[in-house]
Amino acid sequence: MSLYLLRRIGTSLVVVLGVSIFIFFLLHAIYPSPAIDVLGPRANRASIAAWNRQNGFDNPWLVQYLHYMKALLSGSFGWSYKENQSVAALFGEVWARSAYLSGISLLFAVVIAIPLGIYQAVRRNTLGDYVATSLAFVTYAMPVYLLGLILIDVFALQLHMFSFEASQSTSLWGVMTDWYAMTLPIATLTLITVAAFSRYMRSSAIDALAQDYIKAARAKGLPERLVLFRHLLRNASLPMVTLIGLSIPALLAGNLITETLFNYRGLGLLFYNSLQQVDYNVMLAYTLLGAILVVVGNLIADIALTMADPRIRLA
Amino acid sequence: MRGFARKGFAAAALVAAATLMLAACGGGSSSTATNVGPAGEFGKVPPESGTPHAGTMTVAFPPGATPTWIMPVTPSANGSVYTSFAFQYEMWRPLYWLVNGVAPKEYPSMSLAQDPVWSNGDKTVTVKMKTNYVWSDGQPVTSKDTEFWIDELAAGIKESPANWGPYVPGLGLPDQITSMTTPDNSTLVINLNKAVNPTWFWQDELGAIQPMPSHAWAKSSASGPTLDFTNPANAKAIYDFLAAQSKSTTSYASNPLWQVVDGPYKLTAFNNTTGAFTMAPNTKYGGPHASPESTLQGVPFTSDTAEFNAIKSGSVDAGYVPLVDLPQIGQVESTYNVFGYPDFGWSYVAYNFKDTTGDFNNIIKQLYIRQVIAHLEDQKGYISAFFHGAGGEAYGPVPSIPESPFTPSNAMTNPYPFSVSSATSLLKAHGWTVNPGGTDTCSSAGTGSNQCGAGIPAGTKLAFNLIYSTSPTIIPEQVTDLASQAKKAGINITLSSSNFNYMIANYNVVSAPKNDNKWAMEDFGGFTNSTYPTTLGVFNCTGSFNIGGYCDPQADKYITASTTSSDPNAVKTEASYLTQQQPSLFQPNPDSPNGGVVVWKKTISGQPTSFESLSQFQLNPEYWYFTK
Repeated sequence: MSLYLLRRIGTSLVVVLGVSIFIFFLLHAIYPSPAIDVLGPRANRASIAAWNRQNGFDNPWLVQYLHYMKALLSGSFGWSYKENQSVAALFGEVWARSAYLSGISLLFAVVIAIPLGIYQAVRRNTLGDYVATSLAFVTYAMPVYLLGLILIDVFALQLHMFSFEASQSTSLWGVMTDWYAMTLPIATLTLITVAAFSRYMRSSAIDALAQDYIKAARAKGLPERLVLFRHLLRNASLPMVTLIGLSIPALLAGNLITETLFNYRGLGLLFYNSLQQVDYNVMLAYTLLGAILVVVGNLIADIALTMADPRIRLA
Repeated sequence: MRGFARKGFAAAALVAAATLMLAACGGGSSSTATNVGPAGEFGKVPPESGTPHAGTMTVAFPPGATPTWIMPVTPSANGSVYTSFAFQYEMWRPLYWLVNGVAPKEYPSMSLAQDPVWSNGDKTVTVKMKTNYVWSDGQPVTSKDTEFWIDELAAGIKESPANWGPYVPGLGLPDQITSMTTPDNSTLVINLNKAVNPTWFWQDELGAIQPMPSHAWAKSSASGPTLDFTNPANAKAIYDFLAAQSKSTTSYASNPLWQVVDGPYKLTAFNNTTGAFTMAPNTKYGGPHASPESTLQGVPFTSDTAEFNAIKSGSVDAGYVPLVDLPQIGQVESTYNVFGYPDFGWSYVAYNFKDTTGDFNNIIKQLYIRQVIAHLEDQKGYISAFFHGAGGEAYGPVPSIPESPFTPSNAMTNPYPFSVSSATSLLKAHGWTVNPGGTDTCSSAGTGSNQCGAGIPAGTKLAFNLIYSTSPTIIPEQVTDLASQAKKAGINITLSSSNFNYMIANYNVVSAPKNDNKWAMEDFGGFTNSTYPTTLGVFNCTGSFNIGGYCDPQADKYITASTTSSDPNAVKTEASYLTQQQPSLFQPNPDSPNGGVVVWKKTISGQPTSFESLSQFQLNPEYWYFTK
C-alpha cells in the first residue's frame, strides 16, 4: 500500500509539474505580456515597458518560469495585478465558500441519488421509475444557469420563499446558517448532480441485482431490506466512489455558473474574472490548484475503491 | 460596458469589459413601456419632490466594479470608472467637476476651485481654491493640498510611468510643469514649459487633480512627522507610504489616513472580497447636498443577471437594467424610475491602414471607400433592433448626444446616412464594377477622380476581413448586419470572432507590426471621452493607440492644435474634420452604464441632474433622499 502511494504521489508530482509547464507556456504563447490588458488599451509604451520590467515580463519565458516556480516553492502564488491583493489572500477569502457550496450540494446529491438509484433499479420499468428517469433526463439535459434561473424566478421572485441571491455574509458560519439564501444555489447544484448520479446508481444497481450473490441471499431467505442494504448497496455504490472522487476538484475549484448567477463570490468566479482581466498569477494558481485536485481526487477514488472492494488490487 | 480612465486627451475605456455570458438569459415577456424621447433619452427623470428623509441608500454595482485602489493617484492597473467615480470621488473630490447631468461640461458649484486664469501666453495658470470646502477634520482645503497631489503624482510617475493611467510622457501633468508656487492658502500658480491650449489643460489635466490632505498624509509612516512634500525625496517616501497603504485593501475602512476626506462621504466598511462598502455622510462636506444626507451602501453583483434579479425583487434602491434585459423593463417600472442616455464617447470599427492584404491599405486610404462603408451602416436600425431603443447615433469621435460645447455641426446630422444605393453609386463613380451579392472589382485603375485610386490595380477585389469581439453582444450584431449590407453592395466582408483581451494584446500593439496583415477592420468596442474630446493618441500619426496607423497631416495639425493652440474651439475643428474624414467607422453608442439604463426607486428623489449623471458613470447620492 505505502509503495503504491509513494509511486502514485511521485507520478502525481510529475503530472502537476507538467501541467504547470504546459499552462505557463501556453499562457505566454497567447499573451507574451498581459501589460496592455492590465494597464488598458491606451497605455503608452513607457508605461508598458515599465510595467513589464516591474513584473519580470521583460525576461525570457524560461527565466520567468523559473522565477515563478521558485516563488511557488517558497509558498508565494504571486500578486494579483487587478485585484491588488496577493493570490494566496484572494484564494483564502473564498475557497471555503466554494468548498461549502460544492460540498453540501455533493453530499445532498449522494444522499438522494443512491437510494433513488436503488429504488429505480428495484422497481424498474414501473411508473415511479419512469417518472424519476424522466425527471433525471430533464434535469440532466438542462444547463445549470437555466435551472438556476427557473428556481430563482419561481421560488424567489414569484413565491418569495427564498432569496434570489446566495448569502452575502462574510463569515462561513453566517453562510452555512443562512438557509433562506443558500437553499436555491444548493438546490441548483444538487438537482443537476442527482440527475447524473442517480442514473449511474440505477444502472449499477441493476447490474448488481442480476448477480448470483443477490440471488443467493434472497434464496437463503434474507429479508429484502437486508439484501438491499447489506449486499446491493455496497456493491452497486462502487461507481459512485469514482464519481465522488472525480467531483473533488469541483469542491474547491468552485462552480462558476452557480456562483455567478446567485451573486456568490467563490473560486470559480475569481478564475473567471482573472480570465477576463488576464490576471496571470490568479490564472496560473487556479489552474495548478485544479490539476492538483484532479490528481488528488483520482488518488482518493482509487484508494476508496480498494477499501470498498478488496478484490481490486493496488498494483 | 464602457470603462475609462479619467483625464486627458480622451480617457480610455472599453465597451467590452465585463458583460457576462449569463446576462442574456433573462426570460420574461413584458414589453417595454418606455419611449425614446426626442433628445435621445430612454425614460425620464422626474422633477424633485417630497420631504427629505435620511436612510441607507443601496446602490447596485455591476460585475468587475470592486474598488482596488483608494489613494487618489491611481495606477493604470487599478483604474476604472468605479474605483474613481463611484468610490474615490465620494471621499476626495476632483478640483473641477466636469459632468453636468448628461452634459459633458462643468458643474461649477461642485468644483473645489474657481475656473483657472491664464497668463504669460498660456504658459502660466493660476488656480484659486474656493473657501467653502474643508477636510473632515476641520482643516481648509488649500492650494497646498492641490500642489501635494501634483507632487505625489510626479513622485509616483518617476518610480513608474504605469503609476498613473492617464500619463503621457512629455505632455500635460506632470511633465510640462516647470515650477509651482502657493503664494497663499487659496492660490496655486503653475508654470509650464510651453504654451498649451487652456481649455484642454483645464479640462483634461487640472480636471484630473484630486487635492489630498497634506496636513494628514504628508508622512512616510503612520506615526511619522509631517514632511515637506515639495522635496522630491520626501515626496517619494510619502508616495511609497501611501501606495503601500493603498495596497492594504483589508484596512481601507479602518486606516485613519482614509478618514480625512473633503467629499460627501467617509468610508465606514469595506469588503475587499466582494467590493461591498458602506459610507457615512461627512458632516463637514462643504458642497451642495441633500439634507439630511443618507448613508451610502455599495452592493456588488457577480453578474448582470444577478443584479437584474435584485432589481426585480426590489432589494436595492438604485441600479441598472442591462441592455439585453430592456424588453423586460416593464416588470420594474412600477417600482423604479428609469433613465438611459449614452455616455460621451465613441464606439468604432478601426480600419487598418497598414494591412497590405489585397491592397487593403491602398483601398482604405481612399476617402470615398470610407464613405461607402459609412453609408452601409444602419445606425438607426441598430439602435432600434439591437439596443432596444437605448442608444444614440454617433458619426464621428464626438457623438450626436450628449451634446457638448465642442460638438461640431456635422456630428449632429449623419453626413453619410445609411443607403446601399448611395454606397454603390459612389463605387461605380470611382471605377468599380459593382456585383451585388458577389464581389466588386476595380475596373478602372488610376488616380483620376473617376478611378479606383492610387495603388489599386485593375481587378482588385473589394474583399477583406473584420475581426470583432463577441462581447458585448451588440458588437457581433452590428458587424453581422454591416457585412450583410456590404454584400448587397458587392463588398465581401469576412467576419471573424475573437475576444477583447486577445484583440488588444495581439492586434492593437502599435509598436509590434507582426500582426499588421492579419486584420483589415477590427471592432473591440470604444472609448469614453473626457469633456475635452480630442483624439490625441488615437488618430494622430504617432498616437500610442493609433492601432490602424491612420496618418493624415491635416488631422495631425488639428489634433496638435487641440492641446497647444489658444483657440478654444480647436477640438471642435478637430472633431469636425475627423467626422468628415471617417478615419474609422463610427458606431452608435448604447446607453450606459454597462450598456443599459439606470433605475432608482420611486421613493427616492433629489436633484434631477444627479440622476441623469448616473448615465455618465457619476454617482452623487449626496443629492438623494427618501421621500417616505
